[in-house]
Amino acid sequence: MEGISNMKHGGVRGTFLHRILARREITLLVIIVLLVAAVGIRAPRFLQPGRQLSILNDTIILLMLTLGQLAVILTAGIDLSVASNLAFTGMAVAMWNMMMPGVPMIVLVGASILIGASLGAFNGVMVAVGKVPPIIMTLGTMSVYRGMVFLISGGAWVSAHQMSPAFRGFARFSFLGLPSLVWIGVLTTGLVYLFLNHTKGGRELYAVGDNETAAGFVGVSANRAKIKAFVLSGAIAGLTGLLWVSRYASAQNDTAIGFELETVAAAVIGGVSIMGGSGSVPGVVLGAVFLGIVKNALTVIGVSPFWQMAIQGGVILIAIVANTLVDRRNQAKLSMNGVSA
Amino acid sequence: MVRKIVATGLVLLMSAAMVFAAGRAEGPADDDTLRIGLLVKSLGNSFFEAARDGAMEAAAELGDVEVIYQGPSTPTAEGQIEIIDSLIAQGVHGIAISSNDENALVPAAQRAQRAGIEVISFDSAVAADGRSIHLAPSDDELIGRSQVQAIAEMIDYEGQIAILSASSTATNQNAWIEWMRTALEEPEYANMELVDVVYGDDLSDQSYREAVGLFNSYPDLRGIISPTTVGVAATARAIQDEGLVGQVELTGLGLPSEMSQYVQDGVSQNVALWNPIDLGYAAIYITYHLLRGNVEAEAGAVIPAGRIGDIRVGEGLVAVLGEPFVFDASNIAEFADIY
Amino acid sequence: MAEVVRLEDVRKYFPGVKALDGVTMSIRSGEVHALIGENGAGKSTLVKVLTGVHSLTSGTVYVDGAPVSFRSPHDSQAAGIAAIHQEASMFPNLTIVENIFMGHHLRKASGLLDWAAMKTRTRELCGRLSLKISPDTLVRDLSVAQRHQIEIVKALSIDARVIIMDEPTASLSLKEIKELYELVRKLREAGTAIVFISHKFEEIFEIADTYTVLRDGKYVGDGRVGDVTTDDLVRMMAGAALDRLFPERTPTIGGIALRVQSLRQAGVFEDISFELHKGEVLGFFGLVGAGRSELMQSIFGVRGRDGGSVFAGAAELKALRPQQAMAEGIAFVPEDRQEQGVILDMSIVENTTLASLKAVSRFGFPNRKTELATTERLAKRFSLRASSLRQVVAALSGGNQQKVVLSKWLATEPRILILDEPTRGIDVGTKAAVHSFIGELADQGYAIILVSSELHEVLGMSDRVLVMKEGRLVAEFDRDNAEAEQVLGAAIGATTAQRGA
Repeated sequence: MEGISNMKHGGVRGTFLHRILARREITLLVIIVLLVAAVGIRAPRFLQPGRQLSILNDTIILLMLTLGQLAVILTAGIDLSVASNLAFTGMAVAMWNMMMPGVPMIVLVGASILIGASLGAFNGVMVAVGKVPPIIMTLGTMSVYRGMVFLISGGAWVSAHQMSPAFRGFARFSFLGLPSLVWIGVLTTGLVYLFLNHTKGGRELYAVGDNETAAGFVGVSANRAKIKAFVLSGAIAGLTGLLWVSRYASAQNDTAIGFELETVAAAVIGGVSIMGGSGSVPGVVLGAVFLGIVKNALTVIGVSPFWQMAIQGGVILIAIVANTLVDRRNQAKLSMNGVSA
Repeated sequence: MVRKIVATGLVLLMSAAMVFAAGRAEGPADDDTLRIGLLVKSLGNSFFEAARDGAMEAAAELGDVEVIYQGPSTPTAEGQIEIIDSLIAQGVHGIAISSNDENALVPAAQRAQRAGIEVISFDSAVAADGRSIHLAPSDDELIGRSQVQAIAEMIDYEGQIAILSASSTATNQNAWIEWMRTALEEPEYANMELVDVVYGDDLSDQSYREAVGLFNSYPDLRGIISPTTVGVAATARAIQDEGLVGQVELTGLGLPSEMSQYVQDGVSQNVALWNPIDLGYAAIYITYHLLRGNVEAEAGAVIPAGRIGDIRVGEGLVAVLGEPFVFDASNIAEFADIY
Repeated sequence: MAEVVRLEDVRKYFPGVKALDGVTMSIRSGEVHALIGENGAGKSTLVKVLTGVHSLTSGTVYVDGAPVSFRSPHDSQAAGIAAIHQEASMFPNLTIVENIFMGHHLRKASGLLDWAAMKTRTRELCGRLSLKISPDTLVRDLSVAQRHQIEIVKALSIDARVIIMDEPTASLSLKEIKELYELVRKLREAGTAIVFISHKFEEIFEIADTYTVLRDGKYVGDGRVGDVTTDDLVRMMAGAALDRLFPERTPTIGGIALRVQSLRQAGVFEDISFELHKGEVLGFFGLVGAGRSELMQSIFGVRGRDGGSVFAGAAELKALRPQQAMAEGIAFVPEDRQEQGVILDMSIVENTTLASLKAVSRFGFPNRKTELATTERLAKRFSLRASSLRQVVAALSGGNQQKVVLSKWLATEPRILILDEPTRGIDVGTKAAVHSFIGELADQGYAIILVSSELHEVLGMSDRVLVMKEGRLVAEFDRDNAEAEQVLGAAIGATTAQRGA
């Protein structure tokens, strides 16, 4: 049948679109390379392989948290409580280790994931069942969870000498030349990728964020999807809590304060739509790496501390705007192609 | 319906928490008891927890003093201003402040003074317009010079050094850094060069990142002075992680509990700090005697401070508590259990 | 051909409305069945009953001869019934494959998704309909026509035997419509039953085999399309005498209140000229999308225009200046009251005086007493049902919200009222109140434009009826010679009605 004539271009459009999707991430990659090169000119040591590894190491926690944030934002939500969740779980496992140094690390890892997931589940249930808007709910728990840190610690810190050597060394023992922190980050990234792209539950997050009504039509439960996303975000935040206090060998009350906004920034830079339904794991990886490089670069190129915050914000904005513009230009091109076809 | 119940429950819970918290903060208003607010840079900082313990000790000794320990959850001037206003509203008799911003707190402090409240500062000063006496933990000059001397001994008076501070607006930090610069002009430090001052904002991750940045920018760096607890601990961790122990020396001002591990591991030969317990203790004694009219806030005044002995008020109404105490591998473990 | 679905004496009552009142219908495989009726006849409710969105008040649905009861869209899908909703059911940011398989993804033995199998199946289904399109294309990059086609593929993916298409040609170009017909015929050949809902008779005669006509929720007739003429269908849709009560009145038509000359906006409406008199109710009838609302918006000044002029009395109203229209005494009650008419989170009083703040203010501040008095007066007039005038509008019923909207505009003390679909979605009682009120206002000398898609409302209320079709005025009727069939015919384009004046 030759009836559906305008469909013939569909195939062409499909692959064309693929190229664009790739290109959107490539835009970010190009920006990252340019940034590294620019910093390298100013501070050549920045380009040494060892330095790159140290930046990667520094970025892993941000990356992991942003993956959780991605899951929540996909459902058109936001999780502002991740940093407080991290601080609480980190403090809890550090205190456990301080009181019972003999408990094996694997138990603490499990506990951190469980504690974090429970805090996330509370957010999820209130958002899904209680219909509290995510931004309000997590703004509330951001303070509540942070307050809980003070409550369990009584204001005191857990210091390096109070932690067992295994606890202190957990985030940095070397395996095949890379620190354990990096391996955990890679593993988490892989698992989240698998979940979001190759499981029913993962795809449903996209469906709910993209069009909740339509999701209902095809029998996808928006409530279950939202709870899943918050639990994932919470579980990751809990795990990073353990990693954070282990890495810095210090559990403090204001650990990671303000970090939740960095995860949102990394997600947005990585092309995640704050409206929900759109965003990818590779995008988030690039977004987190970009932010990690900016933060590390500012410390080596000798920018006045008074300027650092403004520059960081400015660079983030430029990346987002550039990304959006490229995206929009491609869209425009696409619709023009559509018309001419 | 369920939503309504949940919402009501939440509101009740929050109100209950507020009433509970308020009840604890205010306590009985007895005319004979002096109520003194101890306003610190931020809550949850072990250093100030120790200062609170000292303040409580002083209050117990004096008998007719009640200490109200308060601070914002993050170290900001805005948070402290809010607390000052609430302390005024509570009708406290005196406030002792460790400020996050020398000048920003002045208007709020003056409001307190106009309300008849005795305002002093301790640890980190409020500008002279906003307080009577400032109790310095130590002499700024002495701290600056002793830190430079400590790092000089570690690196044999030769090589590049850097400073990793807290926030770029912290009053005390900047005063010490100025004195470090002055000290470095002395002939015995001629072979030492201060290459950079960076700021970790008293956050672990930021301080760690700044320390790594220093290693990157200055491959020949020999030593780092970090006159702040979070900064010196994070720097120690970074030196350890980057395998630079022995190559980059470290000293600074830090809580013995946070630094104990690193001093014993040899990452840092020694760190110094005054005794925050004594600081809180003395701050309460000074405020108490001023309120009772036992002494006037004027240069040359001598204020008795319990077990510490007399504290002399100097130029600019600054009183000095004492010299920083040095912790090394021989003694840090026992102090680590205290603060 | 075998009967797949049968409805027998199906009724669906909502509070105050009998949306379906005894409908019987037989849907057979390999047949395109047209569902016909004017707006509000019950077509959408019928679709919702078939897709499991609404439960029945009484009556029975049979699938393959066995009675069924759909409790959710899932049940209906399992029975092989799929509806082509428009945009509402698509995921724009996801690919075609995923839009098709969301909710029933294919999985491998490991539990992971089997993308390869889903893509193969998508290609196969597309191939069956001769659609050449990559399964990886994002739906947001598809044209409206392509989205329809994907919806059909989606219906096939769940092995649907009945596919319901609700006005599928509404936003398609001529060429795209032809392609859709092609697709529908292909489905019919494959034995699928299709329920085709359309206002356009030429479409029905082109594609449908059988028809069912509904009016006021009631079954009116059915048969084979080949056995009837357009006029027959119009007669069935329009019905006999007016069985609804509208206020009796003897209008006193005065001088010209509003004059519109050759008004046009490219692609929306063309060459519109008419006059509105004092004390007159002028009805505007037409199908949804005929350009009536857009015309009114342009007259009021909230939408631009490409030519022509509007005079209120002696003053010429400029484009895009609603303040001027208001100053000349025009009040415009828009179509979608939730979006444009009321501010849901504000109280009744605040909403009522919103458009007339100047009148109730002293020294620039609204005077609470005056505000309340004005609101009270209007609320009484409309017998507004609310626990307090300080109540927020969101808490009111649709009908009472409409009363607030009307109050708001009457508080501005207008001379000309433009009412766009003033009774859509409100219950019968409130409808009657609005009708009698419109009559009252006209008797008091207000000039009123009544835009409505409800034929009998236009006929019952208007002193004169103008009919719009595809952006043009195509017919004019006086109260005395406005017959339902002719008016409807003019709007649909079935009979050639001459424009009188």
